[in-house]
Amino acid sequence: MKFKKKITSRIKQFREGLDLSQLELAKLVGVSRQTIYYLERGSYNPSLTISFKISEILEKPIDKIFYQEPVIKDILEGKSLAELKEVAEAAGISLEKLASLSEIDDEELTSSFNESLLVKIAIELGMEFEDLFEKEVEN
Amino acid sequence: MEGKKKMSKHIQPYKGTISRNYAKKQIFKTIIGYLLFYATWVVLSIWLIYFFEAPFPSDWLLWIIFYSVVIPFIVLLLSTIWYFYRYVNMFSYEILESDIVIQHGVFNRIRATIPHSRIQNINITNGVFDRMFKIFTVKVETAGSAAAAAGAKGGVVRPEGYIPGLIEPNIIEEKIKERLIKYSAIPSGLDDKIFKPEELAFDNFISYILSKMREGEHLKTTIKEKRENVNMTAAVLAEKVGVPVQTINYLEEGKYNPSLALAYKIAEVLKCKIEDLFKMA
Repeated sequence: MKFKKKITSRIKQFREGLDLSQLELAKLVGVSRQTIYYLERGSYNPSLTISFKISEILEKPIDKIFYQEPVIKDILEGKSLAELKEVAEAAGISLEKLASLSEIDDEELTSSFNESLLVKIAIELGMEFEDLFEKEVEN
Repeated sequence: MEGKKKMSKHIQPYKGTISRNYAKKQIFKTIIGYLLFYATWVVLSIWLIYFFEAPFPSDWLLWIIFYSVVIPFIVLLLSTIWYFYRYVNMFSYEILESDIVIQHGVFNRIRATIPHSRIQNINITNGVFDRMFKIFTVKVETAGSAAAAAGAKGGVVRPEGYIPGLIEPNIIEEKIKERLIKYSAIPSGLDDKIFKPEELAFDNFISYILSKMREGEHLKTTIKEKRENVNMTAAVLAEKVGVPVQTINYLEEGKYNPSLALAYKIAEVLKCKIEDLFKMA
């Protein structure tokens, strides 16, 4: 089992550190300003060459600028404690175990959660299993 | 990052003048014309005298006739010489990036600008007198000259681009053609018009297409080596990252610019960093 991940970017933070506007960065990279805007919002999956160019200009490695984060982490952080308690109760697990989902890696996920439990959790969070997790491809 | 490369090399402007042979030709033509007129006048007078059996004019009348022809002839000749030498000195043409500029005129200075885009054809003529003085006349005809000719009342209608007295007209023709080719290849200033305003909807599309066209060739990848080190076939890798095996093949050949998400997935499967897997050439 794997976490479904999404790419989040720190472009804005690094860009502002270099005193560049969206437009200036866009010109340096050779893309439109809108592209930078969408990248900063995280709603755009850039091509690798654009990523390389951005990493070159911001002078940071790619995985510092674009880092992958489990989708579930974002969702759990967006919930209040009371809501999380409710979800944990409905799924039949402790609050701590639910909260651990935002910290563990893929291996721990496979060892400490089974698929049916994850399906339950996903439903309680108002999502589908496929939105939050991926099944490992068998060799 | 380097700026956008100019799509074509810059063409140097070409400036030229015309040969003095043009002035000689015009003076020669004027003399011929005047002599013809003079001869006609003399022949006609003699014929009239004999026809009407008039008494032959007295000496003083002959002198009056002689001076009335010769004095204007000399005045005309001198002013013609002055006029055409000055005309040649004042005439200049310039073939620029996007148009031809012709400046001429002895009394009134005239500056004509002909955009290359309006040129329809280039005529090189070499008339009888031209051949005597080894010069050529180049006429640049534009889309508008027919209308201008129809609208003109009296006088000689010349095409907009009239360059007389050229010793080597082929140079001009070549220069103009060179620019015409460039003009038809890239509409002038199009790159600026499309790419510079940030808000054009087209922008995203074009930059996307262009980047796609340029990108693949700049990526060097070690996917194949990394994959073979762990005895993984392309098919298995493709399955693990959830793409068709062709995608992996294209990637390994450096023909495909993957998305960052795909690059991350591959890096994860091969347990390395993106920078270890791909390099910008």
